[in-house]
Amino acid sequence: MSPRDKIQLMSGLLDLPILDKDWRYCGIVDDIEFEESGENALRVKALLVGPGAYRGRLPGWLFSIVRWIAGEHISRVPWDAIVEIGSAAVLKVSGDDYGLHHAEDKARRLVPKRGAI
Amino acid sequence: MNPLEITLGILTAVGGFVDISELVFAAQAGSGYGYALIWVFAFATIGIMAMGEMSGRVAAVAKQPVFNLIRHRLGLKLGLVTLIASLVSNLITCAAEIGGAAIILHLLTGAPVMLMAVMMMAVLIGTIWILPFKWIERSYGLLGLFMLVFAVALIKIHPPWGAIAGGFVPQVPSGLSTTELIRFAYFGVAIVSAVMFPYEVYFYSSGGIEEGWGVKDLPVNRLTCIVGFALGSLLSISILSSSAQLFTPLLADPQLPGTTALEVELPMGRAGLLLALVGILFAVAGAAIETCLANAYSVAQFFGWEWGRHKKPWETPRFTLAWIALFLAGLAIVLTGVDVMKLVEFAILFSVLVLPLTYLPLLLLASDRHFMRKHRNGTLANSVGWIYFAVIVVAALAAVPLFLLTSGGQT
Repeated sequence: MSPRDKIQLMSGLLDLPILDKDWRYCGIVDDIEFEESGENALRVKALLVGPGAYRGRLPGWLFSIVRWIAGEHISRVPWDAIVEIGSAAVLKVSGDDYGLHHAEDKARRLVPKRGAI
Repeated sequence: MNPLEITLGILTAVGGFVDISELVFAAQAGSGYGYALIWVFAFATIGIMAMGEMSGRVAAVAKQPVFNLIRHRLGLKLGLVTLIASLVSNLITCAAEIGGAAIILHLLTGAPVMLMAVMMMAVLIGTIWILPFKWIERSYGLLGLFMLVFAVALIKIHPPWGAIAGGFVPQVPSGLSTTELIRFAYFGVAIVSAVMFPYEVYFYSSGGIEEGWGVKDLPVNRLTCIVGFALGSLLSISILSSSAQLFTPLLADPQLPGTTALEVELPMGRAGLLLALVGILFAVAGAAIETCLANAYSVAQFFGWEWGRHKKPWETPRFTLAWIALFLAGLAIVLTGVDVMKLVEFAILFSVLVLPLTYLPLLLLASDRHFMRKHRNGTLANSVGWIYFAVIVVAALAAVPLFLLTSGGQT
């Protein structure tokens, strides 16, 4: 399926994993940002990734816990950066371009780089 | 894939089939109800064959493991409920496996159980850190084949084969009081939960992705699930049958994994006992790894992190930190001194509650024309899948009342 095809946005795209051009996981489609496109029409502007996008999708008390644990960072992935939508949304660029590997890179400092076959 | 690889895959499934809860519930079911619960093992095994095959097929075709599907199909809120419930269930199960392995090491060495639990966990963390996925899965699965000594022991005691065969026919023993009937039902639900543990499909489907399965691997997936799980289940049924033959006349209730090993010592002596304990040790330690990795897979897949032990630990840092933290949490539970058998009971209870939430998205995706194309569920797989889904919903609804009414099978 191409991003130009008609899809059932909320069920087809929301909560789908995101892979970048190097086939690395970059998070999940946590929310979708729309913009007006002509009269009575909306167009997808960006996919929102990160715990901050849970606001409005979770009860307030639960979101407070999530925010306390993981913060409320949001990365915006422009719709134009999506090349394919199937069992995952695939980017045509590296996830680094949108800061999608930031948390992974931060955690990497805690993991020693030796000993594994 | 060459025949050696296929054979090794099947043997790994056999050796990795039995975990501490199956071990304990099989032995207790045999001592308490003779051969009358064999059919529940057989019934649940067909269920895990069907669901395991579906999860492997989805991993091979849609290239997505189970928890990605759970999040996508159930949405954030219900997905989060499923994630938390399965984390609790798998963590308790992991603690039970670590505790069980520590008890076996204590029996083998005489060293204190708590010290053995710490040692066991250090070995398990070292194993996952050092070895790539396939080696981890194969080493513990194949060493778990020492458990085959239970099948040999059963043959040696010349059991009533006709009565064992009769156990495959669905039945409820006659003459049970209401209290005994409720306990029988509790054992039935517990066996379904123990055989169909959700962590098994999380681990199996993630393992398929770890090994890079594609459409060409579908026949192997089917063969592994059907033959491997069937032979593994026969091992559980051997434990149940020996228990029925040896423990029922003694009115013994084998509540500890070490007691179950006596099934082998009676006909085969000290060497048999040693083999049984080593087999249990590797089967239970392998299950500890599976539950811990299943939890780390679940978290990583739910939040879209890099994951997998086919990559180096530092290439998947959040996943690595997750499985280490989960092992430490499991050890912390054991070090509180809580009774391992209590952990097994709670693990069974939480698992059965998670089962419907795990299998519903799997069933939906396995029959999805868009994702699975010509590899989607056929009529048979769909019928079997939905029948089992109905059964596990009933089991989930019945689990808490049965657990409370029987005090976890004790009364």
